[in-house]
Amino acid sequence: MQIKPYIRNRWFEDIPLGEFHVFGSHTFSELEIVEFGRSYHPEVYHTDPQAALDTPYRGLVASGWQLTAMWMKLMVDYMENFARGVQDGRRNGAGMGLQDLEWFLPVRPGHTITFTYEVIDKPDRVVRERWGIIKSRNEAFNQYNEKVMSFTIDILAERNPESVK
Amino acid sequence: MTRYWHDIQPGERFETGQLTISKRDILEFAAAFDPQPYHLDSDAAATSIFGGLCASGWQVAALMMRLLTDALSAQAVPVVGLNSVPAMRWKMPVFADDTLSAQIIVTGREVVSRLKGAGSLDLDVVIFNQHRKPVIELSTRLMVAMDEPAHAD
Repeated sequence: MQIKPYIRNRWFEDIPLGEFHVFGSHTFSELEIVEFGRSYHPEVYHTDPQAALDTPYRGLVASGWQLTAMWMKLMVDYMENFARGVQDGRRNGAGMGLQDLEWFLPVRPGHTITFTYEVIDKPDRVVRERWGIIKSRNEAFNQYNEKVMSFTIDILAERNPESVK
Repeated sequence: MTRYWHDIQPGERFETGQLTISKRDILEFAAAFDPQPYHLDSDAAATSIFGGLCASGWQVAALMMRLLTDALSAQAVPVVGLNSVPAMRWKMPVFADDTLSAQIIVTGREVVSRLKGAGSLDLDVVIFNQHRKPVIELSTRLMVAMDEPAHAD
């Protein structure tokens, strides 16, 4: 018997306003912070643990874009876990844009960050005759339960063809 | 010579260098952060909304940061961090072997920022592909050191 896919298989219309998920947590290592910093954000406070001591952060901190990338990873893993091997991804739409991305506190090596997601709006719009927009509020907290990042993002979800006639 | 917060005024523009993204870059980032079929598998991507294997939008944002960091560093602007991104839009997919460059315009400035000794600059940033089409557009608030050492609270 095949396990019925859950989230992947839902249409836009089936996703309830207010749905809340905890995507999971990740502990950032010094090595991964430095590797990301060298590739994408070469400031000494993202690349050099020694030189970072002489910056306003007084030590190495993760690039804010590494936090958003990790949010994506944990979201995909979380949704995949529900989908149980459904690989087509056709109903997982693209991100359109985001608003109010803010970073509140530095994330340092060894910090464990937990990511949460809540559906806050489903605007009454049809994109390219096939997609709806799910607006979610996303927050990230460190191990002391301090908020380190938040943003809202618009992601496409496939509409039930019955509703778009 | 270092160009501190005081030295940069609204209206100033910065042009960045260029970066070319390879298929391998796309696959490596996707495997680490965005393992969805349209970022990992050319066949699956062909039938997706993007029409082909393309970079994660977060990789494009990260490449934006690389272009911006290199451009401001070349101008000796002491950037001490990002406060926020009030808005960002992904306009077009970025495909393997696309070449990206950015245009940065300073739209405003404030004395205060999250870090003592740093002011903030509001920037509008557009990343273009080699066809001069915008792939992402964003506004961001950057923290830049004032002409004495910045330090945290």
